[in-house]
Amino acid sequence: MTSTQGALDVATRMGAVLMLVAIVLVFGVLTPGFLAPDSLANTVKQSSFIGIAAVGMVFVLLTAGIDLSVGSVMFLGSLVAGLVMRDAGAGVGLALLACLATGAILGAINAVLIVGLRVIPFIVTLSTLFLYRGFGTWLTESRQLDFPDEVRSFGLASVGGIPVPILIFAAVALLAHVILRHTAFGRHVYAFGNDPLAAAKAGLPVRRIQATVYVVSGTLAALAGFVLISQIGRLDAGFGEGREFDVIAAAVLGGASLFGGIGGAGSAVLGALTIQAVKAGLVFSGVNLYLQPLLQGAVILLAVFLDGLREARLRSLRRRVIRPRTA
Amino acid sequence: MRSTFLSALGATAFATLLGTGAQAATICFAFQDLETEFWVAGHKAITTTLTEAGHTVIERNANEDANRQLEQVNDCIAQGVDGIIIIPQDGESAVTIVQTAQDNDVPIAVFNRPPSDLSKGIVVVADNATIAEQAVDFVAQEAMARITDRPIQPLIIVGDLGDPNAVGRKDGFYAALQKYGDKFATPIEVASEWDAATALANLEAAVTANPNIDLIFTSSDFLFPTIRSVLEPRGKWVPRDQEGHVLMAGLDGDATACQLIKDGFVDATGVQDLYFEAESAMNAILAAIEAGETQPNQVIEDPGFALTSANLGEREMDMWGCVLLSEGFLNN
Repeated sequence: MTSTQGALDVATRMGAVLMLVAIVLVFGVLTPGFLAPDSLANTVKQSSFIGIAAVGMVFVLLTAGIDLSVGSVMFLGSLVAGLVMRDAGAGVGLALLACLATGAILGAINAVLIVGLRVIPFIVTLSTLFLYRGFGTWLTESRQLDFPDEVRSFGLASVGGIPVPILIFAAVALLAHVILRHTAFGRHVYAFGNDPLAAAKAGLPVRRIQATVYVVSGTLAALAGFVLISQIGRLDAGFGEGREFDVIAAAVLGGASLFGGIGGAGSAVLGALTIQAVKAGLVFSGVNLYLQPLLQGAVILLAVFLDGLREARLRSLRRRVIRPRTA
Repeated sequence: MRSTFLSALGATAFATLLGTGAQAATICFAFQDLETEFWVAGHKAITTTLTEAGHTVIERNANEDANRQLEQVNDCIAQGVDGIIIIPQDGESAVTIVQTAQDNDVPIAVFNRPPSDLSKGIVVVADNATIAEQAVDFVAQEAMARITDRPIQPLIIVGDLGDPNAVGRKDGFYAALQKYGDKFATPIEVASEWDAATALANLEAAVTANPNIDLIFTSSDFLFPTIRSVLEPRGKWVPRDQEGHVLMAGLDGDATACQLIKDGFVDATGVQDLYFEAESAMNAILAAIEAGETQPNQVIEDPGFALTSANLGEREMDMWGCVLLSEGFLNN
């Protein structure tokens, strides 16, 4: 293997990381303040809620599924937390538990419909996207819900100088990484995503695996909503709306495949950071507001294009070579 | 609610027309969503008043989907409604919906969010640019009185650029500052897309990049809690009588803004006269139905005003948000 090929191989394997580094460096050169520690920490903090939900989405994508209801779960989970605080006088801890339980239940409803009734995930989660949001809108009658100051104190707090949203994001990503790479369940998820029939023939509990990933996605979407609401302090009818696209984009941009079996917790982290770095960089550079969506779209398209090249390169590397190439 | 509404209207003719003068009509009220206090209050004012006056209201919520709203309006037309009031998703879809209604000889009124073509239908619209200019002018003058030794750094949180209201407010912001030339530095623009999470992320980045912001104008009052989340950890969320206060103005006139002006955190807000707009839309559509006019075309402009820390005492109860606040809206 030549040194050029070697460099190309490294580039293809580390494509998502290199893309993120390139984006940070480009904006850093354009506006040096972008590389300041405060600015970078802010970028990570603002990517945290999308990143947390994207970690859950990676579990689903690994099984070649999709969860379009995450934005609505963010809304309903946070709403339940707010109602528990307002009507039952619960503290932040209990509210967070109620939020997570709501997310798990909503994820379980998706799971029952997908696994139990064998309806395709796209249709089920598209339906529950409207169902969950409609239920939340009905509960609130479109009125805003203000959270107590203790929730905002939680969202704006730091531990050892690191903002709480970043700590939660890091903990979720680390836990997901351990589960996916170092547990039997994680290996089962990859096996199912690569070939569901083979996984079933091998005796894996495929229905339970498929159901569990939707519960994980729902729970993490609810947690993401709580992390966001703890920074804003007010839930309105549009909370979380359309976020499913950011979440899916983050997971895919970081390297997770929509066709299953490829990706990991790191994909969600990289994707969420990349998207937020682009957004923050455009703000730092003072780019015209009309041009910002165009540039965001262009950067994401470029990233996906490079990812396509990476996939093609990896496929060629995996191909069996019967007769080794000669120089 | 109705008594407050009617007292706020102060229009005898309105009550006469709605209550006794007009025949009972079936009105389709198609709105895009109710995501802010303004839309919730506007929705309640229209539905409650029409229903209590003996009219039938068919409500349709498009959940921010312009195509769905067109289908809903078509459905209303098929049901044979006498008139339509819409809050459209955007200016372009409003043109199509107004045209559809007029092609079917059903009078239609557009509430608050104007079509890009104002020549068709009854259009009730706030003069967003002028109202924004009034509010920004107040804080600009306050800023010039406080800061004399350097250019003042303003920041604007822009709404969804597909919404004519957002564009009008942005234009009003610039019109106010242009009067004072180089006393103001180039404004920092922050996109919100009418979404609190987007505004939070972008504003946090903007304030990190430019820590010395003197003046903030938000294109909608519903973003004040988001601004607070960004400024408070940086020690910049302080009332106007304390050192480090960032001058702040908004637009809408909601209950939160009213409370924040009273508390001293916000200095001014441009007020859309919600009750005037609701009254005008209902009056015009009922008058058209009564007259048998199927394609009425009329523009009704809400001049609005700015509620500021200086005129709070006199004009407080002219602002719909302060009326709601006095009814305990924020406690419910």
